[in-house]
Amino acid sequence: MSIKEPVEAFSSNPLEVILGPFTRNQGKGLSLLDMILGGIILYFTVKLVIDWLPKKVRRHSPWQQEWLGWMIGTLFFGIAAFFLFFFILPNLMVSLNLWIGTLGKPLLGLTMEHYHAVWVENEFYRNFINSLIVTAGVVAISLSIGTLAGYGLARSRTNLAFGILIVALIFRALPHSVLVAGYLPVFMHSREILEPIFGSSAPTLYGQPWAVIAVLVSINQPFTIWMLRSFFQNIPSELDEAARVDGCNHFQAFRMVIMPVMWPGVITTGLFSFLLAYNDYLVTSLLLDAQNQTMVPAISGYFNRETTTTDQVEAVAAAVSITAPLLLLVLVFQKQIVSGLVQGAVKG
Amino acid sequence: MDQNHRILSRRVMMKIILSLLSSVFILTGSVHAACSFSNSVPLKSLTAGFQAWKSVTGAMAECGNLEAELDQDFRLKQPDAFAANPSLYHIGGVANSTMVPLLDAGTIRPLDGLVAKYGKHLKPQQLIKIDGKIMAVAMMVNAQHLMYREDIFNNLGLAIPSTYGELISAAEKIQQAGTVDYPLGGTYKAGWNLAEEFVNMYLGYGGEFFGNANEPAINNLDGVLTLETMKELTRFMDPEYLVSDSTYVQKQFQQGKIAMANLWASRAGAMDDAKESQVVGKVQFASAPAPTMGNRPASTLWWDGIVIAKNISDAEADAAFRVAMEGLDRQMVQAHNEDAIWLIDGYSAGKAAKGASETASNGAVPYPASKKMGLMHTALGNGIADFLTGKKDARKALADIESAYRTAAKEAGLMN
Amino acid sequence: MKFRTFALFVGPSVLLMFLFIATPLISVLWQSFHLTKPVFENVEVETCTPSFTGQTCVTENKTRPKLNKEGRIIEETQFVGLQSYRSLIEPEKTLTALSSGNWSQIQNIDFWKALRFTLTFTFITLPLVIGVGFAIALAVNNVLKALKGYVIFISLLPFIITPVIGALSIRWLFIGDGILTAFLEWWLERDIALFAQGWTIELLMLFYRVWHSAPFAFVVLYAGLQTINQDSLESAIIDGANRLQRLRFIIVPHLMPLIIFIALIHLMDAYRVFDEIVGFSSQAHVISLQWLTYDLLTPDDSGSRSIGRASASAMLTMVGIALILVPLLRRTWRDHHEA
Repeated sequence: MSIKEPVEAFSSNPLEVILGPFTRNQGKGLSLLDMILGGIILYFTVKLVIDWLPKKVRRHSPWQQEWLGWMIGTLFFGIAAFFLFFFILPNLMVSLNLWIGTLGKPLLGLTMEHYHAVWVENEFYRNFINSLIVTAGVVAISLSIGTLAGYGLARSRTNLAFGILIVALIFRALPHSVLVAGYLPVFMHSREILEPIFGSSAPTLYGQPWAVIAVLVSINQPFTIWMLRSFFQNIPSELDEAARVDGCNHFQAFRMVIMPVMWPGVITTGLFSFLLAYNDYLVTSLLLDAQNQTMVPAISGYFNRETTTTDQVEAVAAAVSITAPLLLLVLVFQKQIVSGLVQGAVKG
Repeated sequence: MDQNHRILSRRVMMKIILSLLSSVFILTGSVHAACSFSNSVPLKSLTAGFQAWKSVTGAMAECGNLEAELDQDFRLKQPDAFAANPSLYHIGGVANSTMVPLLDAGTIRPLDGLVAKYGKHLKPQQLIKIDGKIMAVAMMVNAQHLMYREDIFNNLGLAIPSTYGELISAAEKIQQAGTVDYPLGGTYKAGWNLAEEFVNMYLGYGGEFFGNANEPAINNLDGVLTLETMKELTRFMDPEYLVSDSTYVQKQFQQGKIAMANLWASRAGAMDDAKESQVVGKVQFASAPAPTMGNRPASTLWWDGIVIAKNISDAEADAAFRVAMEGLDRQMVQAHNEDAIWLIDGYSAGKAAKGASETASNGAVPYPASKKMGLMHTALGNGIADFLTGKKDARKALADIESAYRTAAKEAGLMN
Repeated sequence: MKFRTFALFVGPSVLLMFLFIATPLISVLWQSFHLTKPVFENVEVETCTPSFTGQTCVTENKTRPKLNKEGRIIEETQFVGLQSYRSLIEPEKTLTALSSGNWSQIQNIDFWKALRFTLTFTFITLPLVIGVGFAIALAVNNVLKALKGYVIFISLLPFIITPVIGALSIRWLFIGDGILTAFLEWWLERDIALFAQGWTIELLMLFYRVWHSAPFAFVVLYAGLQTINQDSLESAIIDGANRLQRLRFIIVPHLMPLIIFIALIHLMDAYRVFDEIVGFSSQAHVISLQWLTYDLLTPDDSGSRSIGRASASAMLTMVGIALILVPLLRRTWRDHHEA
């Protein structure tokens, strides 16, 4: 729907939505030649991804961390493909289509103007960068303090540890809207509230990405520590006990013995944190101002009292833009998700 | 060797990525074109996000140093943000209803001095006065009015309905002719929209919402008549009317599925937008019909405008108002004439403004925005659907709405 | 592990949870027993608003909050005990409705209406999510190795899709003559209005939730299937156990802890159902507990909200979840002491 003119994007005839006659009549569309050539290039790109990329990644992954290599590889590949399919190929095809004549006439209505409107005119790339900042922050912080806490809880038999786990479980069950509505006035008045403590440098928390990161990390902590605790429980405690006999303290044992083997569980947990931060709407829409807005709440900017049909088509384009990175991510990490879970992160 | 090679290739890769990224993100610099002065005070604004505000804040931003926030949740944020000291925003965009909390909390400042200094071009009706003091400057008005398909009306020989009785008989004829899917569209989405429809119709019947001491007073004959008329109208609508908001009705119009609707004036322009609409030139506008002969039209008048925060320095307020006036000037209106029904000097009223101005001259009243009306609107929005779906009769629905209002009003301290 | 070490390990995490979850929670609890009201005064106010040609001025008696010398609203906070809970549950009305045995009268009270839907939603989706997830897991486990990657990828998609976008897609696809509704109409050759009555919306909501949550169940159970001891499976085959028997006596018992885990995660999430109500705009027909809380908490145009009742509703939601969690708590307690 996002690649058709608004007049037919929501048409009640499904055929019209798919074929886009109106868009085609405006001279915007794919010709037979486009489809054939595009299809061939697409096929080879996919083949390259399936056959060539994995080998390269395995050979060149930094610090033997394959997933890191995959991240870099996909990013690079994604950008290259983006330029190939959105800049080089279209421009090439325009002249080719003109040259070839009837075969070059548009057959299937298609227009990228809404993507152009979303990314360039509405500056969606800013939201994209903000999303990257918030998501990276949440994943990094959530995992660092979560692994520490998860390890601590897994190795402690005290009632206190049990109490923390139970309270965390109840926290997980809390409706988010209740928490978030409570933050708003406090965040907006934080400067006045914090002034007696911090003096004139007291910050206004509202609109600050790091404040939102802190909120999202906290909301996600219960799930993170539960998952990581079960994971660490499946790492035999004899391992770190042996290290402690050799004279390490708990932190050294954690660093030398546990850290090298914990990555599968951490990656799986990290993916859940990523999804939470990337997909969040409630927290980010209320606590961030326009300059720091992430992608998901930015979509709601297309829905208001005065939404036009064009706005709606652009919203679809924005939605597709938000979903695409998620697809890539799962493509890259699906093996890790399963293997992380297999290694015990799910044993309740 | 291999190690070096790898580092090198990584560096090359980084470079390529960076250069690719920068080629995507290069943007045209901001233009300080149409503003008569260059603003040096950093300012922030918080407004709604619809097109008229995009045009206005765009024009304001030309003066420089303005961070314009166009936010869908502005009404959630505005009261707290303006109450902070210093206020988080300098300029606020409000409508008649959303100004109430700011006014009540005293977080916006009187503008008389600033209007005298910078607002010579403002028309007198733009100045919103509370107890003689100018508290806001209005820029546009909005109202719901009748939109109809002229071609269908001509083919069937129908007259433009001026009452809902006439509208219903016209709808019956259109239904029999079967030229469109549904004769009528309506913004009946449960919640705010549905309540707005009730308010329009109820005021049209001449009803009063409140008795003494903020007591609710809608459980009366006018209330029952209003509900029954609304239910009668739904017979001619898409059966999914309880999820249809104004965007949905607009789309139904644009795709030629309905023949009439009482719709917001700000939507009129979209009917003739060739990029979206299949009925270009076929839709005409007229006054909102009255419930019965001799009543006022079932519609309320709304305005949107700007306010300036109180908790900022006078110098900032001065700059903020000056910048805001640049956004509300002749140039902006001429560049964006079709975005709204502007009150600003320089607006040339086109076809789209006709329906709204007829509605106003037939006697439609301003929306009675107040704290208690806010509570009443919420109670109506949550309570009417039960009547339309047939779960309750009219009297029971109205009684339940009144009791929901009472609970909320007691909590808010409006009633004892 | 010494307490000091333990405190250093869990400290940062506990601190964050305390700051951003426990503190708001305590304030919610406090607010559910108190009411803060502005002090109002009645004044004659003249308001002038624009019309098309000129200005309309009205003088009316308005109730507005009093301001103190610093220009802030004067507010009074008082302890009201259970009043907010009472105006939420409306015990008198409930009792009359109960004694008359009239089900629809209870449904007129928002809280019971929301509870009814929340509970049916939770307990209908629960077996479906586990069943569908388990079925996919078994199927994926048995497909060709070459296809596994693709199947896992496709099955995971509904789980990762941004919930807001998922809800919006429903609007685009189904409401009015959305493309899927239009397709159904063409296929069944009849007029369909999925959003015109409560039960179709409810059905769609159930379907959406199962579509969205089953992949999580799938991936967890699939991971569990990988840990099954192959020897015991093989010896079962030698003993002549058929597929069904193997499933019943080996696979399901092995996966039982995981199934309980999924069930409880799902119970917690489904009990908080909210996205669906907004996405399907179902508030005219059905509402959920979290939606009720949210609605009470959202200020209207003139900035009023019912914090007292919202807090009460939030606390009652919590009590409900705590009750549902009891089985998990007992099991964890056992594990904790056995380990």
